Amino acid sequence: MSTPSKRHLPLTLGYKKNKASIRGKDKKVTLNLTSMIDMFTILVVFLLKSYSAEGQIVTLSDALTLPESRSDQKIELNLEIIVTNDAIIVDGEPIVFIEESVLIEGNPIPVLVERLSDHLEYTRQMRGTIDETEMKVNIQGDVATRAILLQRVMSSCAQAGYATQNLTVIKVEGGDEQ
Amino acid sequence: MAKAATGRSHRIRHASELDLLPVMNLFCVIIPFLLLSASFLEISIIEMSPTEGISAGAGTTSLAQSEEQQLQPKIILTNEEMFLGTVFGTRSISRVFLEDRDGNMVNSYDYDALSDALEDFRGELDTAFPTIPVHKITILTVDDVRYDNIVMTIDVCALHDFDKPGLQVAAYSVLQRQILEGAGGVSP
Repeated sequence: MSTPSKRHLPLTLGYKKNKASIRGKDKKVTLNLTSMIDMFTILVVFLLKSYSAEGQIVTLSDALTLPESRSDQKIELNLEIIVTNDAIIVDGEPIVFIEESVLIEGNPIPVLVERLSDHLEYTRQMRGTIDETEMKVNIQGDVATRAILLQRVMSSCAQAGYATQNLTVIKVEGGDEQ
Repeated sequence: MAKAATGRSHRIRHASELDLLPVMNLFCVIIPFLLLSASFLEISIIEMSPTEGISAGAGTTSLAQSEEQQLQPKIILTNEEMFLGTVFGTRSISRVFLEDRDGNMVNSYDYDALSDALEDFRGELDTAFPTIPVHKITILTVDDVRYDNIVMTIDVCALHDFDKPGLQVAAYSVLQRQILEGAGGVSP
């Protein structure tokens, strides 16, 4: 009996024609996706937990490391003051450069008071009136900032009319609910 | 001869496999979206209370407020020691020790001891003055205390319901006077 010619063999498109496929003993190889789906489900749950619909309303400066706190109070969009080891930056603009003389006295910093007063006056003119919510500032300070500098910034804010000063911190777990 | 019908199919039924590809497609879309909008660093704030030195609106004190002001404790941070000043007297909480933070050796305080002291003070306050709610606390420091030490102190205070912190900075000589003046205190 003669062997069948290759022309009569079944066509198996897309698969390598090895001996097993020629004999018809091959099986369609399928990927087992169950474990991958499990992994993706865990990933999606984790990401959904850390999902923020509000987005970040503050831009953190690279020049500083914020301190960690258990405070759970939500951040609001206010005027940002960044206190680094080199400068005091208001709304993205460096106002005071830190020199030794800045760290001696404990009074408000005149240049900073002037800049903050201008900002408050501008807000008043733009909106016609000014309420308590606009008289707030967020202060971002580096962990190594000295207390005297922080106090001078805070007293400058108070003198300029910003009655509420918020310290921006990185929230760590174990915070008290507010 | 035909086989009698039994009502059962003798064909082997294979369980149909779930087609997971649409789920995979969904995950492939949703995961990059969630990765982009996830916030791994959560920012919060600590609202500071105005203190005598930084007060913006003085002159609106009611009797209850002034009583609260009289009772409000002070935490005094110097470069050697931490003190708790209350209406019952000023006492030392801990000595300064060096701690490694991000590779730098910096001054630190015993915050557990502070927590215990504040818990005791809260108990004494609730016994002696149960009708006056005291939430304000003043952090009084010397010039060069680090910001992270101030924030850690505020954190410990908040644990004991002293959640309206104020900051005052004074020279060491002024703090020493405060400590000596408060050493007597009032017995609870």
